[in-house]
Amino acid sequence: MYKSLKPLANAYAHITGYRQHGLRYDDLIIEEREDVQKALTRLPQRESYDRVFRMKQAFQQSVLHRELPKDQWLKPEDDTRYLAPIIEQVAKEDSERAEWDSLVVEKKK
Amino acid sequence: MSFLPAIRRQAALTARRSYATVSEAAGVKVVGIDSGVLPAATTSITVVVKAGARYETQPGIAHVLKNFAFKSTASGSALKTARETELYGGVLSAALGREHLFLTAEFLRGDENHFLDLLASVLSSTHYYPHEYAELVLPTIQSESISALASSSTIAMDAAHSIAFRRGLGNSLYASPHSPVSAADVKGFAQKAFAKSNIAVLGAGISTDALSKAVQSAFGSGSGGAALSGGSSQYFGGESRIASHDQPTMILAFGSAGEASADMKVLPHLLGGETAVKWSTGSSPLSQAAAKVTGASAKAFLMPYSDASLFGVVVTAPTSEGVASVAKEVAGLMKAGKGKDEEIKRAVAKAKFYEATLLERHESLIATAGAAIFSGNMPTPDSSFAALAKVSASSLEKASSELFKGKPTVIAVGDLAKLPYADELF
Repeated sequence: MYKSLKPLANAYAHITGYRQHGLRYDDLIIEEREDVQKALTRLPQRESYDRVFRMKQAFQQSVLHRELPKDQWLKPEDDTRYLAPIIEQVAKEDSERAEWDSLVVEKKK
Repeated sequence: MSFLPAIRRQAALTARRSYATVSEAAGVKVVGIDSGVLPAATTSITVVVKAGARYETQPGIAHVLKNFAFKSTASGSALKTARETELYGGVLSAALGREHLFLTAEFLRGDENHFLDLLASVLSSTHYYPHEYAELVLPTIQSESISALASSSTIAMDAAHSIAFRRGLGNSLYASPHSPVSAADVKGFAQKAFAKSNIAVLGAGISTDALSKAVQSAFGSGSGGAALSGGSSQYFGGESRIASHDQPTMILAFGSAGEASADMKVLPHLLGGETAVKWSTGSSPLSQAAAKVTGASAKAFLMPYSDASLFGVVVTAPTSEGVASVAKEVAGLMKAGKGKDEEIKRAVAKAKFYEATLLERHESLIATAGAAIFSGNMPTPDSSFAALAKVSASSLEKASSELFKGKPTVIAVGDLAKLPYADELF
């Protein structure tokens, strides 16, 4: 299943075109959400700097209506999910808090 | 005389009070103190860790470790720990001393298994996440440091320790922004600090047997390892002057290597500074000296540690001139270091009362007994009474002349143009 769908996925990632602008998939996640904002503050300094750099580069390419030269495209192996696990962690914390807030305590029988 | 039988019954109960002996469970020293006078409805369990400021591998790391207590562990998040404790009706706290770190859980009797599991997981599996450090731990450290160092006497006491002992016991209790500590550093320090040979469990309101059983099941799978070494303490002495526009304060202190002797324990009570009755300046030499300046106070203190002690007087007054004049008088009193026989008797009685109450009040019991557990024998009032009974005028004079031979530690906080230098005092 993985083997049969992987080329398709690769092709889809290529067609969407974000790698041609030097972006990673996690750079496309919508930022205007509280959990994503919180996750962004938890990024290591280096990751955070690189993210801003990739975005600046992509904005510039977008203004110029150009793709990066082919050797500067993001390589598929560099397209890591650096942000998604942190967002999941934040979401888990939020749901845990909600659970504790709506807890019903029963007396031991 | 209807109250006499009541007194006699009280005396019998006090005599029956048994001080627990140290036993060992799962390689951890365990003591349970069940007072026996009243059936306690609450229990408190304290994990005493030999990881005070003295054992720091880098400045401030013990303070950070203290604030990392009860954060997320392998068995649940910080939120879970807090909410569960609330549901059980317990209180969790962490306190840091120069020699020990205390992690305490207080709760209703019968919940000891839950809280010991919790303490065990804090010791063995706290994650030390960088984001928890930045979001939860660092702000508390900052506010603790700022609020502690807003008081001149805390600044002076911290400075007195660093001048008196330099390293080890001289390390500050508070983390400072000048020496940053990372979450990874804390993790490394915690692994060394929470080795089994480095911790002891002290329970109050629980018998040693019950505590041992609970410790055996909770701490069974901890890691052994070498204890942190803090080196041995040495007394140096010297002078430090800190400009400040807050309450002017001076500390005049003398230290010695080795555990505090009975004579040393009597000395602060001989000099005094505290009043025993309300609305009076008191009759001790220090309170007489302080009474000459309005609003001034001079209080003697003894800081006993496992291999050193610091004895001294804290002088405060509303103005720096006031502090200077009281400090000159106090220095004269300290140098004289003598007392009449009845004054010595009074001081010995006060010292006995103080030593006995140390073991009866909960907070001081933890600090006093916590330090003693590692040596394997618990302090009892009887043993300290026997030592104090031997104190005489001659032994006191010998001890004080020995103590005051050393270089004084003089700390001045306030208007430095007005506060005297060490060589002008001694």
